[in-house]
Amino acid sequence: MFRKVLIANRGEIAVRVMRTLREMDIASVAVFSDADRRSLHVRRADEAVHIGPSPARESYLAIDRILDAARKTGADAIHPGYGFLSENAGFAAACESAGIQFIGPSSDAIRKMGSKTEARKVAVGAGATVVPGTAEGMIDAAEAFRFAGAVGYPVMLKAVAGGGGKGMRRVDRDADFAASFETASSEALAAFGNAEVYVEKLIERPRHIEIQILGDRHGNLIHLGERECSIQRRHQKVIEECPSPVMSIEPSLRERMGQAAVSAAKAAGYFNAGTVEFLVDAGRNFYFLEMNTRLQVEHPVTEMVTGLDLVRLQIEIAAGARLPIGQEQVEWRGSAIECRVYAEDPENGFFPSPGRIAQYAEPSGPGVRIDSGVYAGWTVPLDYDPMLAKLACWAGTRRHAAARLGRALSECAVVGIKSNIAFLAELMKDEEFLAGELDTAFLERYFERRQSINDPHEAIVSEVLKLARKPLALETRASESRWKTMGRAESLR
Amino acid sequence: MSDLVEVEPGVWSVIDGTRVYEVRVVGEQVLVNGQAVEVASRKAAAGSASGPVHVRATMPGKVVRVLVEVGDAVSAGQGVIVVEAMKMQNELKSPRDGRVMQIAAAPHTTVDAGVVLVTIE
Repeated sequence: MFRKVLIANRGEIAVRVMRTLREMDIASVAVFSDADRRSLHVRRADEAVHIGPSPARESYLAIDRILDAARKTGADAIHPGYGFLSENAGFAAACESAGIQFIGPSSDAIRKMGSKTEARKVAVGAGATVVPGTAEGMIDAAEAFRFAGAVGYPVMLKAVAGGGGKGMRRVDRDADFAASFETASSEALAAFGNAEVYVEKLIERPRHIEIQILGDRHGNLIHLGERECSIQRRHQKVIEECPSPVMSIEPSLRERMGQAAVSAAKAAGYFNAGTVEFLVDAGRNFYFLEMNTRLQVEHPVTEMVTGLDLVRLQIEIAAGARLPIGQEQVEWRGSAIECRVYAEDPENGFFPSPGRIAQYAEPSGPGVRIDSGVYAGWTVPLDYDPMLAKLACWAGTRRHAAARLGRALSECAVVGIKSNIAFLAELMKDEEFLAGELDTAFLERYFERRQSINDPHEAIVSEVLKLARKPLALETRASESRWKTMGRAESLR
Repeated sequence: MSDLVEVEPGVWSVIDGTRVYEVRVVGEQVLVNGQAVEVASRKAAAGSASGPVHVRATMPGKVVRVLVEVGDAVSAGQGVIVVEAMKMQNELKSPRDGRVMQIAAAPHTTVDAGVVLVTIE
C-alpha cells in the first residue's frame, strides 16, 4: 500500500480524499496556488506544496509542477480528484513514466474514453445505442450547420474536450446556429484549449442517468447502480440521487443500463472508478452519452446507498488489489439525495458570487453528510468553480431523504456571499420533485411556475436591524471596564 | 416587543411571543431562518420604473461582446452585454424596457464588480 499520496486538486474534493487517506493511515500532500494558501484542503493535509500563481493553467493544470511536488515530498501516488487534470491522458502518462502511481484508469483508457467522439465509437462497438450526432468534432460552422439541418432541430452543440456544461449550447432554429456555434467554440477554447465542437440531435425531456462502474487491474468489472442527475442549471448538475425515481417504475432498467456500462468500459480496457452517462427518454430507452474517467462530484449518494467508500476502493485498486466484492454482493439500501451548494445567486440567473464568507454553519444529525471545502472567514476565490460544498442525506425512502435534506439545508448557512441554499430547500418541498417527475429541463420549468415567497418577517427584521445597526452604542458599553461590569455582576449574587 | 439576543457575531436569536427565529445580518444582507429578505434601503436603491437604470458588472470579469448599440430600443429581460467571469459567459439583461443611452465598456476589456456597463433610459 502507498505511504503518501498527493492530491492534484483543491477545495472540497481534496478534503474528501484526505479523509479517506487518514482513515487508511496514508499521509496526504496538498498542492496549492497563490489563491489557495488559506484554503481548507491545505489546512487539512499532512504536507502542502505551493505550485504557482492562481490561474489554473499555471498551477493545478501544470503537470511538471505537480510532478515536482510529488517528487519533492516523496509521494508514491497521485489522486487527481475531478476536473483539472483528472481526465488528462497526458498527465496519467507522465505519472506512469515518472514511476508515480496515478489513482485512476490507464492513460490509454482515458485517451479512448475521455474524448467524447472516441468514446461513442467504443460504446457503439460494445453494443450501446447513441444519440444521432457528428462522429467528429468540427471547427467549421458551415459544415456543422449542414449536419444540424439534416438531423433536424433542436440540436445540441458540445465541446469535444468538454465537461461541466462549458462550451455547450442548445440551438432551436437555423437563424440561431451561427451565433451559438461561435459562443460554444470560443467557450470551449477558453475552458479546454480546444475549439472543436460537435453537433448532436437533442432528445426532448430526457432524464440524465449515469452508472457508476468499478474495475480492478485483473479484469474484474462491476457496476454500483445509477445516479439520477436530471436537475441541472446551465447543463451543470445541482441535485443528484440514488436510486433514480424511474427505477420504481421499471426496476429492470438498472441491470440493463449497468450491463451496457460494464460492456463499454470493458471494451476500453478500463479499470478503477468511472461513470458512464446516459440519456433516458420518456419511453425509458437509454442512449450512451459519454464516459467520465474519474471520480464524480456526486459519488457520495452511491456511497451512502451501497455502503462503500469509493475513494478507498480507488486507492486499493491503484495499489493492485482485486475488487473485494462481486456484482451479486452489491446491495442498494434506502435512498440518498445530494445537492451542490454554490456561491451563486439563483435569483439572478445563478450568477457566481465569490467573496468573503462572513458566517458559516454546517448541518448535522441523522443521515447527513457534508463534504465541504470552506470555513467562516475564508474568501471564495474568483479563479475557480464556485461550488462550496456538497450536502447529501440518506433515509429509508426517497420522500424521507428529501425531507431530511430540506431539514439539513435549514441548518446550513453561508452568509456574506450569495448562495443557493434557500433555493435548494425550496426545491425539496416541490411537489413535482417529490413525485420524481424529473428531466433535464426541470429547473427551467420550475422557474416558470415558481411562486415568489413573500416576506412576513418585516417587523422582526426591523427590530433586529435597530439593534444590529447601533454598533457605536454597543461598543461603548462593551468597552466600559469589563472588571467593573463583572464586579457589579458579582456583587449581585 | 420580541426577545432579541445576539448569540454569535451577526447572528440574532429572536423569540417573538413563543416563535423562534434566527436572523443573520452581514452588511446589507439579512436572512431570516435562512431566507434572504429585502431590506427597505435596498428596495429604494433598486430604482423605479422611470429614469435611467444601469446594467452593472456583478463581479470582476472580461467583456466578451456588446449586444446593443447606443440608441437601440431594448425590452425588459433582453440581453445587452456578455461578460465572462469564473470561466462562464454571462449575458447581462436590461432590467426594463427602454433605450440604450450609453455603453461604457468595450469588448475584451476587464471590468471590476459594480462598474456601470450599459445605461438604459
